[in-house]
Amino acid sequence: MSSKKRPPEPRALTSSTAERLAAIVEAAERAASKVIDDAEEQARHQLQEAGARADRIVAERLRAIADELDPAAAPRREPHLKPVDSEAELGPLSTQRSGSAGARLLATQMAVSGSSREEIEQRLRSSFDIDDAGEMLDAILGPKE
Amino acid sequence: MNLTDLQALEQRYLMRTYKRAPVEFVRGEGSLLWDAEGNEYLDFLAGISVCSVGHCNPDVVEAVREQAGRLMHTSNLFYTEPMVRLAERLSESSLGGRVFFSNSGTEANECAIKIARKHAHRRGVEAPEIVSFERDFHGRTYGALSATPALAANPALAPMLPGFRSVPLNDAAALREAVGESTAAVLIEPIQGEAGIYPATDEVLLAAREACDAVGALLIFDEIQTGMGRTGSLWAYEQTPVRPDVLTSAKALGGGMPIGACLTTPEAGEVLEPGDHGSTFAAGPVASAAALAVLEIVDDPALLRGVRERGAELREGLLAHDGVSVVRGRGLMAGVGLADGIDAAAIGADLLERGLIVNVPEPGTLRLLPPLTVDRTQIERAVSAIDAALLSYAA
Repeated sequence: MSSKKRPPEPRALTSSTAERLAAIVEAAERAASKVIDDAEEQARHQLQEAGARADRIVAERLRAIADELDPAAAPRREPHLKPVDSEAELGPLSTQRSGSAGARLLATQMAVSGSSREEIEQRLRSSFDIDDAGEMLDAILGPKE
Repeated sequence: MNLTDLQALEQRYLMRTYKRAPVEFVRGEGSLLWDAEGNEYLDFLAGISVCSVGHCNPDVVEAVREQAGRLMHTSNLFYTEPMVRLAERLSESSLGGRVFFSNSGTEANECAIKIARKHAHRRGVEAPEIVSFERDFHGRTYGALSATPALAANPALAPMLPGFRSVPLNDAAALREAVGESTAAVLIEPIQGEAGIYPATDEVLLAAREACDAVGALLIFDEIQTGMGRTGSLWAYEQTPVRPDVLTSAKALGGGMPIGACLTTPEAGEVLEPGDHGSTFAAGPVASAAALAVLEIVDDPALLRGVRERGAELREGLLAHDGVSVVRGRGLMAGVGLADGIDAAAIGADLLERGLIVNVPEPGTLRLLPPLTVDRTQIERAVSAIDAALLSYAA
């Protein structure tokens, strides 16, 4: 018969140890969940800020282009793309916002590329159903003489 | 050597990739070409929108002659002034970023595809996808071909590159549905050229821009046919409500010399790094000098206004005929939809006999791409020839 000693049995977990471990795991999960929630909240906040910042940049650039096109009229101009401050101002459909910005970008790009006021008006009418683009084109091209 | 001799040599030595019309051209000037027998033709195809400043434009010829006599090639391992000046001019006239030069349109699109895939990998996308429109044409090298659904369906050329999908033209809902987290880019022609001149609507372009922005993908405009003044602005995107991240150009860029370019926004221009892409011949001094001369002519408000005005005259003249049901396109890029039952191929062949060169991209459509320097009299002459061909067909 072998005289070797058998290895000692692993010490069984006492109920108090198991409870302690469960409490630690639970606390760790709560902490991780809070970290995730905080990160998501932070990301949402940053996204909102980035969106508003992008809108401000677009508005500033469009105004700058319009100013270059007609410096004399620049001081009278109102910003034609207002920075978005809150989701409430976006309206029910995001496409409305992009459509409106798209119309202004179209008008600006056409103006920069040399299209006439009439050509831009016609395009805005056919593509965006904008019957009276006067204000927008005044801001980009300067008031109609 | 006459036309019959040429055809015999073609049969023996050239691969059978083209169906050529039985004409040998020997000279060109402005909107006119002459064949070997001295017959004059009014060219309303301009070498498929390549000779936009007219055949043998004196300024382009002089630029090529002067540069060819001084320096023709060094490779891209060294600097040459025409290349760098051309990059500056293209960037400043478009998206403001960087330029990669190539020798053709399909190569320009290859560069755009590389940019899109690498940009997507940086976003953590493992298997990037590129979305294009059905019936788009982006070229015949394998990347561009894979983004050209009609040609990519050819089983004899399989397998195509993975990571390409397409949606019907102007189906904004399908486009939104197709673009997701794995999308690297939406690659589209703002006006489909080879398909028969079909413009993308403002709605679908806005949807594409919005969908790309939502997932961080790039919007790529293939302006190989629409660019360089063809639609009445230097770039077609200038007449749309969006601005792409990447734009490809070729065809008219060199005025007949082979050159292509991939233009980017400042951000997209930072994607490619040394070793990612290259070309031995691209932006050689001669092709670059030609392109600079072309830009000097085309990037001119008076010429671009003329393109829009001649285009309007062309449309008005064509629509006066009962045989014409619709004229699609913008500027001097016109797809003439013929009334039901009229064989466009027969009309095209008749027009060649009458001395007017057009193209028939699909049954029922004539494609007109005259030089941007075409004058009013030549527009009237083309309209009259089409009138006569349609009347003759009806008789």
